[in-house]
Amino acid sequence: MKILVADDSRVMRQIVVRTLRQAGFGDHDLIEAADGQQAFEMATEQQPDLIISDWNMPHMTGIDVLRRLRGAGNKVKFGFVTSESTAEMKTAAEEAGADFFIIKPFTAERFDEVFAPILG
Amino acid sequence: MSIEVEVDESDLAEMVEQVWESYLDPEGVSPLIPTYDENQPSEVHSSVSITGTWTGHVVYASSRAAAQRAAAAFLAMDLDEVSEEDISDTLGELANIVGGNVKAMLPPGSQLSLPQVNLTPESSARFPNTQRIGGVYGVWEGEPVSISMWQSRIDNKEEGA
Repeated sequence: MKILVADDSRVMRQIVVRTLRQAGFGDHDLIEAADGQQAFEMATEQQPDLIISDWNMPHMTGIDVLRRLRGAGNKVKFGFVTSESTAEMKTAAEEAGADFFIIKPFTAERFDEVFAPILG
Repeated sequence: MSIEVEVDESDLAEMVEQVWESYLDPEGVSPLIPTYDENQPSEVHSSVSITGTWTGHVVYASSRAAAQRAAAAFLAMDLDEVSEEDISDTLGELANIVGGNVKAMLPPGSQLSLPQVNLTPESSARFPNTQRIGGVYGVWEGEPVSISMWQSRIDNKEEGA
């Protein structure tokens, strides 16, 4: 499976990728986007099976990426990894069609719990 | 009348502990040991601002050696491989993670800024019209690290009035 990791922080992209490996998902094809616009373009062009996205990103926020994808009929598994987890954000994510919501800091156990059902 | 701060020092300590457990000390062998010394020295710092239902700053400060060690842990590299950019990015992410967690505990309607990083001591930072309302101060493998909250005097009075 192809997994797209979208975060404007290089450090956080690396942590997400490393945590995916620690959780046993390192054999999947991992690709990265450095902002929301790039995430949307890569989601459209490269058709990943799963998108793990930051919320706050330049050019296009994570929730906007999700809304645009869903608006275009794209049903890719999509969720957020963010340090800002307010009830409003979780509701907005669910309403936009998000599949998961992971709070930073996170552990490999948390990744396993969320992604095992998706990635098998 | 000023608004009540919803995040206290024990909340902050819990957030910091989670950062250590998740990223900086996953083996549980080198925790942040409290010193309770709000005047401990630092060499680098980063911050995020929160505006809205609570207005202020969350500041992460440490020695350069602690920042280098944090970057090595975040990026899974050896200490001597860590670059200036790695240190800056790591400091920014640390402020972002703690700041985001603080924001999540506040009443709805606050915004979190992008992080700012300064490779200078926290004592050189100026946050006009603010006061430090609490923090976690400690040493990590002998190096000073602190995370503190600075509340705006003006905005919070206006918001809560």
